[in-house]
Amino acid sequence: MNNAIIRSEKLTRIYDKGFRTLALQEVDLQIPRGSITCIMGPSGHGKSTLLHLLGGLDRPSSGKVFLDDIELTAITADRLAEIRSRKIGFVFQFFNLLPVLTALENVQVAMMLAGTGKKEQAERATELLKLVGLADKLQAKPNQLSGGQRQRVAIARALANDPEILLMDEPSGNLDSRSEEELLEQIGKVNERGKTVVIVTHSETVAAMAQQIVSIRDGRLVSGGANRAERPGGKSL
Amino acid sequence: MDYFKLTWKNIIRRKSRFFFTLSAIAVGIASLVTLLSLGSGLETEIRKQADVLGANLVVTPRGWCAYEQISVLTGESLPEAIPNTDVEKITAIKGLTAFPYLTQRTALRNQPVPLIGILPTRMKQFKNWRVDRGRYLLDGANVVIGSGIAGQFKLKPGDELRVRGQKFSISGILQEVGNRDDLAIYMNLATAQKLYAVGDKVSFIAVKVDDITRIDQYILEIQAVANVAVSSDKQLLKSVLAIVGSVGSALKLVAAVAILAAFFGIVNTMMTAIYERRREIGILQAIGAKKRTIFSLFLWESACYGLLGGIVGVVAGFVFSYFAAPYIGQNEFTAFLGSEQSVQLFSAGITLKSLVFSVLVSALAGVYPARQACKLSPVEAISYE
Ligand SMILES: Nc1ncnc2c1ncn2[C@@H]1O[C@H](COP(=O)(O)OP(=O)(O)OP(=O)(O)O)[C@@H](O)[C@H]1O
Ligand SMILES: [Mg+2]
Repeated sequence: MNNAIIRSEKLTRIYDKGFRTLALQEVDLQIPRGSITCIMGPSGHGKSTLLHLLGGLDRPSSGKVFLDDIELTAITADRLAEIRSRKIGFVFQFFNLLPVLTALENVQVAMMLAGTGKKEQAERATELLKLVGLADKLQAKPNQLSGGQRQRVAIARALANDPEILLMDEPSGNLDSRSEEELLEQIGKVNERGKTVVIVTHSETVAAMAQQIVSIRDGRLVSGGANRAERPGGKSL
Repeated sequence: MDYFKLTWKNIIRRKSRFFFTLSAIAVGIASLVTLLSLGSGLETEIRKQADVLGANLVVTPRGWCAYEQISVLTGESLPEAIPNTDVEKITAIKGLTAFPYLTQRTALRNQPVPLIGILPTRMKQFKNWRVDRGRYLLDGANVVIGSGIAGQFKLKPGDELRVRGQKFSISGILQEVGNRDDLAIYMNLATAQKLYAVGDKVSFIAVKVDDITRIDQYILEIQAVANVAVSSDKQLLKSVLAIVGSVGSALKLVAAVAILAAFFGIVNTMMTAIYERRREIGILQAIGAKKRTIFSLFLWESACYGLLGGIVGVVAGFVFSYFAAPYIGQNEFTAFLGSEQSVQLFSAGITLKSLVFSVLVSALAGVYPARQACKLSPVEAISYE
């Protein structure tokens, strides 16, 4: 086992819905264990697609994804669901929470699916929501929360089963700069606890904390696996 | 958080849709319960009456309609149409015993009571009657009565009663047998024939055969000596049940249509719910729900409709059959259902059957939608607004 926790080989994804879209083309990528990696690129160029494939949420048209030594692209849907449940936390771009459930319950659901007992669910969910600064919003429904608060509930949920990897798709998309700073602080904390974080973002501020920047253009890696030092204008940590 | 709580929260999120879908299944189950409780009441009643008769064959005049055949079982008064000569000819046939009945009506304190003319000794043997009080004497001045009549009108041996203006003394009271035989006055056949001026005719003849395997043979023999219709008790029961069944089939149709409508109502509700929640399904899959988890989540949801609608429907059904029973009882085929005890007001069996059926139908209605739900790809569900 090398230092990469996630590794992709010639990852290609073609959407075929009436017309073919080549969303991702032969992407070779390595995500170092314990790192923060940012995926950047123009809108519609395949960032979300890549993230979903890395997290075993979608299957590629061709190519492989490895998580540790497990070939995600070769296992059954059920195994994949198990891995998503235990090893990976997702924060999505648009829609994250179940609207009928409170913030607390939204976090608990992830643990319920992993088979955690009710008592532990409640304790841990409360703790996680405190961690993301929502101690006073445990019983709020998603429609009673701001965009940023919802995003934080999603982060709490992503951490619910203590995954090794956190995958986030534009987590700061709708946030003002102050909320974004708070968010980055959370992400920093999570990363300090040894988690691998992959973030799709347009934000330079977010990118500034990454050890690795992956740029995508038209479904291809521009600076594949390049570390941030190679990126013009990048600041060192 | 557990799966039940999640299902419940999803069910009640759209209150009016929840209410209407529930109503649909409740109406279906209510009509089923009504059907079952009225129907089983009818059938047990008829079977009980057939047992009371205790005969292998029933000889009736030719051309009797089914209603009159039912009356043989129910003890209604009947036209008298078989002459004594036929009775004798049938009695003369070897291997069978004939019990002629003349069923009439009289009144005790202005209430109608069946009066049955019989051959005293033969009938006592046939029915295995025992005398509770007094003695068993039926002649021109004496009658015996069933225990039910004795209790209802507070009669005892030695009391007098009037039939068509003539005084009779009650010689004895029969031991309770627990069926309709308890509820009649028994008179010597010849006396009754004179009293009711029916000449030498009887209403019908019950026949007991020695050798049950030769029953078809007997039917032919009886028809050879007398111009009568002969049916076996089984045939009689069957034809009566068929008639009652035809009354029930109207109800059955209502129940079937209602349940079918409820079935599609649930399918529709679930399809709508799944369309509305396709993103949430994606989220659940993304955070670790397996396909079979999604499937069972939706299947439980629709089964829940069945359970709740079933409970409401069962209650409504019993309440409805309680109020409907007297009206249905007025139908001439079911006239003898007038007595309340024949309609089951509550039955654990019917409740259980209906609830299980309701849950099964609803779960079945959820299968297709639930399959659609677990076929959704998580990515597509989440990716777009
Ligand atoms: N489910 C899908 N069906 C069909 N085409 C899709 C689907 N998802 C993405 N695409 C197409 O694939 C390409 C890449 O999409 P993707 O969502 O990965 O872009 P993105 O880089 O995440 O964009 P954005 O920054 O706007 O989120 C786009 O052209 C998009 O239209
Ligand atoms: Mg995207």
